[in-house]
Amino acid sequence: MIEVENIKVAIGAVDILHDVSLRLEPGRLVTVIGANGAGKTTLLRTLSNVVTPHAGTIRFDGRPTAGIKPHVLARAGLVHVPQGRQIVPGLSVRDNLVIGADRVAGLDRDAIAAGLEREFARFPVLKERQHIPGGNLSGGEQQMLAVSRALMMRPKVLLLDEPSLGLAPQVVTTILKALRGLADDGLAVLLVEQLALLALSIADEAHVLQRGRVALSGPARDLRKDRAVIESYLG
Amino acid sequence: MTLVNFFQLLVSGIAMGAIYTITAKGLFITHLATHRLNFGQGDFLMVGAFASIGMLAAGVPAPLAVLGVLVLMGVLGYLLERFAIRPLDRLGDRAGAYSWVLTTAGAALILQNIVELGFGKSAQYAPPLFSKTRDNVINILGVGIFFEEAAIIIAAFLIVGAFYWFLFGTRWGKAVYAVAFNPEAASLFGIDVRGVVVLVFVLAALMAGISGVLVGPLVSVHPHMGLIFTIKALAVAAVGGFTNPVGILVGGLLFGVAEAFSNYWDSAFGDLYPLLFVMALLAFRPSGLFGERRADVR
Repeated sequence: MIEVENIKVAIGAVDILHDVSLRLEPGRLVTVIGANGAGKTTLLRTLSNVVTPHAGTIRFDGRPTAGIKPHVLARAGLVHVPQGRQIVPGLSVRDNLVIGADRVAGLDRDAIAAGLEREFARFPVLKERQHIPGGNLSGGEQQMLAVSRALMMRPKVLLLDEPSLGLAPQVVTTILKALRGLADDGLAVLLVEQLALLALSIADEAHVLQRGRVALSGPARDLRKDRAVIESYLG
Repeated sequence: MTLVNFFQLLVSGIAMGAIYTITAKGLFITHLATHRLNFGQGDFLMVGAFASIGMLAAGVPAPLAVLGVLVLMGVLGYLLERFAIRPLDRLGDRAGAYSWVLTTAGAALILQNIVELGFGKSAQYAPPLFSKTRDNVINILGVGIFFEEAAIIIAAFLIVGAFYWFLFGTRWGKAVYAVAFNPEAASLFGIDVRGVVVLVFVLAALMAGISGVLVGPLVSVHPHMGLIFTIKALAVAAVGGFTNPVGILVGGLLFGVAEAFSNYWDSAFGDLYPLLFVMALLAFRPSGLFGERRADVR
């Protein structure tokens, strides 16, 4: 679904990523863990073409994504839930949910209504609050909204940047369980997290990013047992 | 001052105020979405006024002339974004932070001189839009009011209403809010950010053009009239708090009415006092009468 080969990314004069490669497949949840500043957010921004790599290739659905604008990629099903949730504060919860799906070719009024029902069933709190401004939701509710907004666009690949940031532990569990469920239903999920052990507990496969390089990769189950290794990499 | 006098000044003030509001809406929407605005907004208004005068004088029926002005202004708004805004965005940090002030003001100078070539330097008057003669007076509760002014007020309020409907009721209006909040995030949920930027500059040009069509029958029109309209629209937008579309409506009407009365008391320097008042207001309330003080999201 997504193949990343040896990408190198610099922002300004600073090299952020060196020779990063990874693959995402439908039905698999892959996590990228690493300390602050390891390049996790830059990796996701590169996958969604906000940032352009100066070497290496990224393929989505078999085709190189170089030169495709972020909004076109998003409409085609490569949907990135950015860090900090980015809920438009002045728009209602419902408008926030629909704003992306409204722009996806092939999603008509009925498909959007069905999508809303599906997301309201997934996170019932969004249904209760659908008419209040998105900015008035709690952090956890905003994260649910951000995930649902992405799912409304019928993604093939879902990229998530630290969905746990600033949330209470039980909300984190709710969200991570929902992500596991999405992968089980056939979505390709890439989860970037600082809460390494939690991320490893739900992922199929993991990569540890350290100062812009993939320092360690493997089945999440194996990495999880290797706590000493994890802790030394994550600091 | 008689009561009749008072009401006539009030109506004239509301008519001009409504026009300032429409012009300022154009500044508001591009500032909301891009933190940039057209320093030639008043000159775009001037182009709209001359385009309508030219077409009406050539015998084009009024509705067609208005349509023609809108098409012309839409194209001008697109060209402004394409040549005065986009190249600077491409340069990123290498362009000065406020270089768009110079490029948009430069475009305005070009427009002034093109219009001067075509129409000459002297002041002109637009024929009335809504009635046969300029001095067609209607009687409302014993007060004689120019029909033209009353019709302009109604038209202006319809346009302001349409603007609110666009901003709060359509998917494009919601996209403008998403881009205003965070352009990168907006692109991640499928919004064509560059398309929205073009859209707001086209809309701003349309608002200036409509203002020009409406103002033509009220004031004398000449190629260098634009700057004062730019300044007044900026003043109105600043009083309204720049981020509050309803505040701009209130600010525009207040400004227009204040100007009408101020000109009644001092016909030589009447335009000066409302601007002085805005300056004093901003010294004490930099976010205007209706703006909230808040940290910039960008």
